[in-house]
Amino acid sequence: MANQLVEVADDQGNLTGKQTIESAMSYQDLNAMINLWGPDQKLQLEKDKLAVRKYFLDHVNQNTVFFHSLEERLDYLVENEYYEKEVLDQYSFSFIEQLEKLAYSKKFRFEAFMGAYKFYTGYALKTFDGTRYLERFEDRVVMVALTLAAGDESMATHLVEEIISGRFQPATPTFLNCGKKQRGEFVSCFLLRIEDNMESIARGINSALQLSKRGGGVALSLSNVREYGAPIKKIEGQSSGIIPVMKLLEDSFSYANQLGARQGAGAVYLNAHHPDIMRFLDTKRENADEKIRIKTLSIGVVVPDITLELAKNGEDMYLFSPYDVEKVYGIPFGDISVTEKYNEMVDDPRIRKSKIKARELFERIAELQFESGYPYVMYEDTVNAANPIQGRINMSNLCSEILQVNTPTTYNADLSYDDIGKDISCNLGSMNIAMAMDGGDIALTVETSIRALTAVSDMSNIESVRSISDGNHKSHAIGLGQMNLHGYLAREKVHYGSEESIDFTNIYFYTVVYHAIKASNQIAIERKSHFHNFENSKYASGEFFDRYTDQVWAPTTEKAKELFAKANVTIPTQEDWKALKASVMKHGIYNQNLQAVPPTGSISYINNSTSSIHPIASRVEVRKEGKLGRVYYPAPFLSEETWEYYEDAYEVGPDKIIDVYAAATQHVDQGLSLTLFFKDTATTRDVNRAQIYAWKKGIKTIYYIRIRQAALEGTEVENCVSCML
Amino acid sequence: MATKLITRPINWNKIEDSVDLDVWNRLTQNFWMPEKVPISNDVQSWENLRPHEQKLTMHVFTGLTMLDTIQGTVGSMSLMPDARTPHEEAVITNIAFMESVHAKSYSSVFSTLCSTNDIDEAFRWSEDNPYLQKKAEIILGYYRGDDPLKRKVASTLLESFLFYSGFYLPMYWSSRAKLTNTADLIRLIIRDEAIHGYYIGYKFQLGYNESSTARQEELKSYTYDLLLELYENEVKYTADLYDEIGLTHDVKQFLHYNGNKALMNLGFDPLFPKDDCQVSPAILSALSPASDENHDFFSGSGSSYVIGKHEATTDDDWNF
Repeated sequence: MANQLVEVADDQGNLTGKQTIESAMSYQDLNAMINLWGPDQKLQLEKDKLAVRKYFLDHVNQNTVFFHSLEERLDYLVENEYYEKEVLDQYSFSFIEQLEKLAYSKKFRFEAFMGAYKFYTGYALKTFDGTRYLERFEDRVVMVALTLAAGDESMATHLVEEIISGRFQPATPTFLNCGKKQRGEFVSCFLLRIEDNMESIARGINSALQLSKRGGGVALSLSNVREYGAPIKKIEGQSSGIIPVMKLLEDSFSYANQLGARQGAGAVYLNAHHPDIMRFLDTKRENADEKIRIKTLSIGVVVPDITLELAKNGEDMYLFSPYDVEKVYGIPFGDISVTEKYNEMVDDPRIRKSKIKARELFERIAELQFESGYPYVMYEDTVNAANPIQGRINMSNLCSEILQVNTPTTYNADLSYDDIGKDISCNLGSMNIAMAMDGGDIALTVETSIRALTAVSDMSNIESVRSISDGNHKSHAIGLGQMNLHGYLAREKVHYGSEESIDFTNIYFYTVVYHAIKASNQIAIERKSHFHNFENSKYASGEFFDRYTDQVWAPTTEKAKELFAKANVTIPTQEDWKALKASVMKHGIYNQNLQAVPPTGSISYINNSTSSIHPIASRVEVRKEGKLGRVYYPAPFLSEETWEYYEDAYEVGPDKIIDVYAAATQHVDQGLSLTLFFKDTATTRDVNRAQIYAWKKGIKTIYYIRIRQAALEGTEVENCVSCML
Repeated sequence: MATKLITRPINWNKIEDSVDLDVWNRLTQNFWMPEKVPISNDVQSWENLRPHEQKLTMHVFTGLTMLDTIQGTVGSMSLMPDARTPHEEAVITNIAFMESVHAKSYSSVFSTLCSTNDIDEAFRWSEDNPYLQKKAEIILGYYRGDDPLKRKVASTLLESFLFYSGFYLPMYWSSRAKLTNTADLIRLIIRDEAIHGYYIGYKFQLGYNESSTARQEELKSYTYDLLLELYENEVKYTADLYDEIGLTHDVKQFLHYNGNKALMNLGFDPLFPKDDCQVSPAILSALSPASDENHDFFSGSGSSYVIGKHEATTDDDWNF
């Protein structure tokens, strides 16, 4: 076989020599080799670097359109309607040139094949026929910065610095779409209420179609919809309950598939005390009838404290007819605190009710989680107790990290709006904890991130769903996330879940929340404007700040102290908080919500991070995505030395993950996507215990449950790294 | 006087061979139905395959359907009379049932992706293809033979070797980001077949080890002869299918790899030298039956979920 000579570069992108690779080896094969032990039983990490090189040689370079100069390139892209002229017109050509130079001077290199592949297949601008690339990573970063900075040169420069250095990474829809003429929305995540009437259900489906068409994930709350067998126009036994609504939604999402790029994605949430709750869960059964089986729609259960109390006492739990509850209280079922009104509703003969064993509900939930990973769980009372905003939170989103208040919309007989309520959208972006710590100026990183996300909110206007656009204009809600926690810990030789790691996580998030509020306060001062209904928030009353002004927050372990000192990160003091409190009470903050920690799939690969603040699923992760096929992703900084600090999530176990998340949760105003990992020796009881522990520790939501089944001894593939336990 | 047949109820509290229980648990945990996998998400990807690629895929799947039909209706059942323990019988019923599930799965792939005309053509092809028919003939011949251990050998070779010329293609497509949901379904089948081959091979070894040296020699040479006979036919079958898209060489390497694996399951030494088993790493990695794949709601159903073991919580668990 003929060999091919390729250049090899070190981490800084400097050439270190040449290496031959078999030209017959495809980049897919090279990449797959990191999942197989080498001849000396060592990890073949270098093969992945070769896969990146090979990918550029064989694919990217050969399929990239060449331009003689930046001017020629931009003219071409604007004339042919690839780039938005309006974005570029906000700047002088010489500034754009300077920014491009800055971006290229950073010598960005993809660390993992997964990152490069993901970027070029999913993000880079391509010719309309889809065959050739018109952008490199640097060009994309510059376009994102130019778009979000909206003419502000210093902001654009900061953004290029933060993104190209990997400290801040905007979420997929923002990073993908900025500056493109033919593009989807910058916002990825929507939450819609559905009320108990046909107008609202139909509007919900319509909105689901519109929002998926624009690339969003949509969650809908079904808690308000009347149950199976409830009366319609006082005639008993007429309603078919929520399952047919779920079916309609599932089909809607698979119809709207964003130019075939990916399926629309949707989730529905239901209160645990809704009478259809068991039917709702059974839609995810392996052997459910086709008519009721829900395959691609995600489901989530809203669990109030009372449900856990009842389970604790081994009691029955009553399920309440939303139809009757709304008639009695005059507000939808989802807006009622079941915990607060439970006994009252049990005693009220006007409310139809049925009962099930509370513990059986939890066991059923756990069974379904084994079979399907679903449902997500939201601890309703925990969420509302921690909510600084006036109003009630009754649902979450597709990734269970968005937690915001909403209000109902009402319709006229001709289906026009009567009163437009408030639905939720959220734009996200994540900081890379390792890079942010290395960066030396965490305040600037957070501030730039908050400003970038605010810009996304400012630029978003989903006209087709008025409750969303109105909600966005009023709240300017954003969600700053974090990723690469495990990567950072492993690099610094700290075990995930250890006391040091919890200590670090606590103070890191404590530092971030301070700078995030400060940045939002700064924006409010500049714009002389704050989010709608700020006056009635716990920010305005100052109550939010009590725990920061009344108590000293500082690292307690030597290791965490050392990490912050080494990175020159200043930890905010009580005095800092007092000053911030005064300024916020006086000027307000611009964003109703500031933080939310998403699961970070694609962007963590591009950013060479571990996902979110989870432990890794595997040292070499096997990833299947529609567009990618099977691709293998080694944990960042993986080496012989960091190997032992990369215990995977199944080894770490649920309790330690919960401990780490609990430390972060107390500083995050919205939620954090928290997946729990179990070995296949676990039973439903282990899952239930983890759920109880999570609730006790103040966790707000639980995302997926994952079970790892090891290959039966004797059936494994020889030499497979990811098979190794 | 005729011997009186005594019927004994199966007692799962008295396990004679713990492998029976392990395998039973694993198989029931792994229970799945084709409806689990959203094959319809592959419709677009299917449309993007070129006509000859579509045809190849259909032929490969028809071939697999044929093997699973044999295995489900004749193969597994023929092992039943030789079961060593009542629990083995139970495991075999599970194996037979899952083989039928597999056979049906291919049909659900067909009906989701292809037109009736194409499906009919593919089934006609399966009846006319000499190599496929020969393959069926050889295996069926041994299933109908009267030697229980030889039946096990035939079965193991089918489960661990013959299927794989077909499995190669969906794994190949998925490494090229095509038909990835179909690949998920196939991976579920592979997950099952890996256990079936292992289990039947294990039961063979028990019988083999009890046999006389002469009988062992006979079985051994029989195994290698049968493998070579099947291999010779399989090479032609492979060339017939894969020549057009230029993958024959790779598939052959894969056959060698799995041929050795089948021999390993039977407790015999590998036949094919290591250098002839250079399976493309993308395929090899894709085969891993462990459920360690990471996916989210955008990426399809994955092939990793299991039926959970139910255990009630106790009062202590709720102590808060």
